[in-house]
Amino acid sequence: MSATLAVLRKDLQLAWRDRSGWLAAAAFAAISVLTYAFAFDLAAREVRPLLPGVLWTTFLFAGIFAAGQSFQREAEQGTFDAMLLAPVPATAIYFGKALSNLLALLVVEVALLLLATILFDTTLITADLVVIVAVGTVGYVSLTTLLSTLGSRARGRAVLLPALALPLLVPLLIAAVRATGASLGEPAGTAPWTLLLVVFALWSSLGAALLFPMVVER
Amino acid sequence: MTAASAPAAIETRALTKRFGTLTVVDAVDLRLAPGSKTALLGANGAGKTTLLGLLSTLIAPSDGEAWIAGESLTRPSAALRRRVGVLAHLPMLYEELSALENLTFFARLYAVRDAGPRIEQMLRTVGLWRRRDEPTHVFSRGQHQRLALARALLHAPDVLLLDEPETGLDVEGVALLDELVLTAPGLTVLAATHRVDHIGAWAEAVVRLDRGRVVEDTTGEAAVAAPRAATMHEASR
Repeated sequence: MSATLAVLRKDLQLAWRDRSGWLAAAAFAAISVLTYAFAFDLAAREVRPLLPGVLWTTFLFAGIFAAGQSFQREAEQGTFDAMLLAPVPATAIYFGKALSNLLALLVVEVALLLLATILFDTTLITADLVVIVAVGTVGYVSLTTLLSTLGSRARGRAVLLPALALPLLVPLLIAAVRATGASLGEPAGTAPWTLLLVVFALWSSLGAALLFPMVVER
Repeated sequence: MTAASAPAAIETRALTKRFGTLTVVDAVDLRLAPGSKTALLGANGAGKTTLLGLLSTLIAPSDGEAWIAGESLTRPSAALRRRVGVLAHLPMLYEELSALENLTFFARLYAVRDAGPRIEQMLRTVGLWRRRDEPTHVFSRGQHQRLALARALLHAPDVLLLDEPETGLDVEGVALLDELVLTAPGLTVLAATHRVDHIGAWAEAVVRLDRGRVVEDTTGEAAVAAPRAATMHEASR
């Protein structure tokens, strides 16, 4: 637990010192939502069903944008090896890194929801939606943190993370978009999308934590 | 475990590492006594860095076995990792963090007791206490290496694995390295180096690798005679 907190604290310190990665992700997200706002009148009833897709596509690419950076830096500076040499379980390192990515992405997402609330004239900060975004982000970050570890030592790391992550994230995206739509009063069918989202988040968190020690072994 | 009664500080039996079809470390047998200082020699690509990676637990062996102080590296425990320090090619430091923040982070990972005084002691020893709050990206190569040395020794390891430790160090830095590590009593040192002219000053024995195999090993010989013999051997090559 103390190792996880040490890694989390250090990663948040690094994210604050070098804000370029997360600022770029936030800027990308803001520009995307602004573009959508100009392209479609999402406040109009007939195009409202697009809103969940707009939000989750933006979250997804903003997260992918920033997720690879933390591990890439660690690999380049040799600090990832330094952490693996320490007398702490690899899973503790994983949880520390996943938590820091989660917190940083949640900050970007909340800012984006506030911006979208203004642009689309729709209340997006509701208890339902916050829970759906938080659970979806847990599932998303669990998987991308693992995959960015895998990609950090590869030559084609810039394309490896999206190429590996996007197909694996399809179930999460479908569930997240549908659950978000339902919370905004759009027809989403009868499937338990929020439950599926919770199951995916649990599965990816546990699976990634169990796989992480194997992924980092050379 | 080992055949001998007292466990060696480092022992390997037929330790092998293959990457695909390439055998980088090939059936290496070593036995280093506690407190011994051994130079690991060999041309580029001889397998020195991989051997150090195996002994540090960073790389898993393909075959063979290795022990640190009698404990197997096959499933390294936290206690075993606490006994080993590593100074590698890269300083393994966060460029955006200060010297103090870097050591504080690693002290937390290693659960160093009385971390504050220990960090201050290490920073004073390597001559960086006055620059403790500066981010390390402003440091020179030599200062990075000094801080990396402080990081490697922070948790007071019994065994120190070094990969070309003199890289980037000035004369004063090399003297510091000699004092803190290479001639430190009780500390077992295995150091890969190309500074053959310098090993006579500290090495009690020499292990030479060639294409992953041990081609020279003086660890079993008389401690005093070894460095001179090693230096002469180097000079003759």
